[in-house]
Amino acid sequence: MVEWRLQRLPSAGTGAALGARIAAVLLALGVAAVALVLAGQNPFALAAQVIRATFGSTFGLEDLGLLLIPLLLTGLSVAVGQQIGVWNIGAEGQFYIGAFAAAAVGLFLPGSAALILPLMFVAGAVGGMFWILVPTLARAYAGVNELITTLLLNFVAALLVYYVATGPWRERGGVSNSATARIPAEIPEFWGLVHWGLPAGVLMALGFAALLAYSRWGYEVRFAGSNAKAARYAGMPVRRHLVTVMLLSGMIAGIGGMLEIAGTVHRLQGGISNNFGYLGIMVAVLARNSCLGVIASAAFMAVILNAGIVLQTQGLTSATVLAITGLILFLTAVGDEVSHYRIVRGKV
Amino acid sequence: MNDLSKNSRAAPGTPPLVLLKGIAKYFPGVVANEDVDLEVMPGEIHALLGENGAGKSTLMNILTGIYRADAGEIIIDGYRVDFSSPLDAIAAGIGMVHQHFKLVQAFTVAENIHLGWQETPWRASTRKLEARTAELARSFNLPVRPDAFVSELSTGEQQRVEILRVLARKARALILDEPTAVLTPAEARELFKALHAFRDGGNSVIFISHKLEEVLEISDRITILRGGRRVATERAADCNPRMLARLMVGRDIVLSDMRRRPKGAAPVTAEPVLRLEGVSAMANDGSTTLSNITLGVHGGEILGIAGVAGNGQRELSHVLAGLLAPSSGRILIDGTPVERFDPARFAALGIGHIPEDRLASGLAPALSITQNAVLREYGKPPVSQGGLYRPDAAYRLSLEIAKAASVTVPDFSMPIRNLSGGNQQRLVARREMRIARKALVAAYPSRGLDVGAINIMLKYIAELRDQGAGIIFISEDLEELISLSDRIAVLYEGKIMGVVENRDIDMDEIGLLMGGRQRAMVAA
Ligand SMILES: Nc1ncnc2c1ncn2[C@@H]1O[C@H](COP(=O)(O)OP(=O)(O)OP(=O)(O)O)[C@@H](O)[C@H]1O
Ligand SMILES: [Mg+2]
Repeated sequence: MVEWRLQRLPSAGTGAALGARIAAVLLALGVAAVALVLAGQNPFALAAQVIRATFGSTFGLEDLGLLLIPLLLTGLSVAVGQQIGVWNIGAEGQFYIGAFAAAAVGLFLPGSAALILPLMFVAGAVGGMFWILVPTLARAYAGVNELITTLLLNFVAALLVYYVATGPWRERGGVSNSATARIPAEIPEFWGLVHWGLPAGVLMALGFAALLAYSRWGYEVRFAGSNAKAARYAGMPVRRHLVTVMLLSGMIAGIGGMLEIAGTVHRLQGGISNNFGYLGIMVAVLARNSCLGVIASAAFMAVILNAGIVLQTQGLTSATVLAITGLILFLTAVGDEVSHYRIVRGKV
Repeated sequence: MNDLSKNSRAAPGTPPLVLLKGIAKYFPGVVANEDVDLEVMPGEIHALLGENGAGKSTLMNILTGIYRADAGEIIIDGYRVDFSSPLDAIAAGIGMVHQHFKLVQAFTVAENIHLGWQETPWRASTRKLEARTAELARSFNLPVRPDAFVSELSTGEQQRVEILRVLARKARALILDEPTAVLTPAEARELFKALHAFRDGGNSVIFISHKLEEVLEISDRITILRGGRRVATERAADCNPRMLARLMVGRDIVLSDMRRRPKGAAPVTAEPVLRLEGVSAMANDGSTTLSNITLGVHGGEILGIAGVAGNGQRELSHVLAGLLAPSSGRILIDGTPVERFDPARFAALGIGHIPEDRLASGLAPALSITQNAVLREYGKPPVSQGGLYRPDAAYRLSLEIAKAASVTVPDFSMPIRNLSGGNQQRLVARREMRIARKALVAAYPSRGLDVGAINIMLKYIAELRDQGAGIIFISEDLEELISLSDRIAVLYEGKIMGVVENRDIDMDEIGLLMGGRQRAMVAA
């Protein structure tokens, strides 16, 4: 009897991995198309609409650029943590607190934008670091797993921002009753609506990639992340690196929050983080924790999210859109795993 | 070339339990196996020999469904099979015990035995699982403690659990990849008894080892691989160690006299380069593992440390390499007491360390060969300048280390775990020797190496000595210790029982010391 079976390979070839990803996206789109037909929609018209709205107009491209910035930073935050084997599930919370700290500076300190913007940047960075400080110390000195601690702090951060935005910092008589007043200092735009936060984010990703590949520190971090026991045997300061890397991870997410406030939204409002922290985990996973890869996977994620927004304007419910987005990401992740297998034909 | 079944105990006409025909496996740039035939009869212990990287582990990984052969067939009991995972292999009665155990440390022995096993009862109490385990242990004559946690077990006990796990799944062919490398001699004897009993029940064992005496003692037939190909299959009764070594390496191995100093060798220094004074140390659980050790090694000298593994060797080497701070006493490097116990500092002062569990604590298996090779020198030029790390310089250094270790590497950017076990060890050893200007702490440096490689390793150690480094050579092989060391200290339960000059060595006396008898003798 001849039988087809699967065999797992120890590592996936690059070609297979890429092929599996493309197949995953196509498959997800196919499934989505069938679902849309069943829902009485014309998938081809919708697809054309999405492509036109995203790539066919300056507006679409600008939206894409704006969406890319926070994804880039939260993705980078998670990827940097992974270099030393840490899962920073808390980029969401650090993003909130970065935004919160930057907003505090922007709202309450007088001064010209040239003075305030750098201060906001520092505030965002420090805010993000502050928010990961306790999980960092708990992990480094008491061995407490960072998954739970960073995750729980997300809820605290979200509630805190929601509270100040709807309470003490709310703009009286403003258009919305859950946002602060507009922050006067703004990051200048460099192309349409897209502000300098985008090149700054790309630069940071390039910078971290270079730091990891071309610095002694980067070598030690990667070694300690791969086998802490061997790193200790060689006398590397494993704990110090753990603390530094976790703080940097929080800092990057905090900067993401600052850029969002100072460049895109200009007000602190509840839900400012928009799940960017969680999406950042996905971005990092898709990039296999490569800092350069994060640039590409954040762009991919931005396209998908943007398509979702377009679809919503076409009358699809946000739940449907979320399901389609989730399907693509899910199948991509499955594809990554599947690319480790190959089909063999054997006799039994 | 051989009538393969001339020594089978099985009735005529019985098909071999395992038959491999024309197996080939290629990795990028490496022929791991090519045209390999292997026949294992029921009731046979079949040894697999070969140099490091000869393809032994790969061949067994193919037989157990971990890898898929690029050519050839696997025939079990006369039927051709196709394994796509180790589960298929175990279903066909082929089980393997890897050198790195795959037990769950936080589970008990009984839980580990029953983990992922179809015959585990659906709802079973702890008592029932333990009773079943005890029953299995009795039937296979492999004493284990069903309620003990794996983390509490010695290496030998863990290995018994692994074997029991495989046998419980009704394996008829048991594959053991270098099982004795981690065992004390007494544990090894226990293992051999169990293997004989298993074989006498009409089952088969495939046994991989680099220890030729032991292979001759335990096996019925021996197959030798060289460069991925089978070069011979012989009856053990027709073999001797010398001939096996020649078959493995392809030439005669000339054992040189390691203790003779060549002209120009550095003289033994008057003062010790590395010295312990009244050093005691605690293990992680607070128990004392070294007590009041005073011991020194001079430059240009090899100090052997004899003793049964587990008597404080690990802590001794850790203290000497700066990994473990002593609880009392002091350490002097070149006569200066050490203040700070930092392995990087010890390394910078010229102390190399070949750790006993080098694969677990000396390497990052998932990182590249280059990244692992430069572990000791990444912090200084040419690999780094200031804070800058230069991958190209790292690559050049790793080329040099691989060359010195005589390891051929097809691709330096591949994860180091893709190298054969012995080749990983050689790279670590060479890496450490490069930095050992002052002293080298070598824990079991020949474990896992083939005969030729052991000889080369010992020669390298002797060369290092002739350059003036002091060497602490920890081993459990007395012959090896005697052939290399100038003095031998015996370690027993964390104490030095005595230090003997090589010229007045008395094997019996060393044996007694290893067993805990005291000797009235002053340490150097
Ligand atoms: N996954 C892999 N990728 C690339 N090369 C591999 C892989 N696995 C094994 N090899 C190569 O195949 C060859 C045979 O390796 P194998 O592990 O079978 O040797 P071995 O006989 O078990 O040696 P040792 O005695 O040192 O354990 C080696 O050159 C090794 O580098
Ligand atoms: Mg091997």
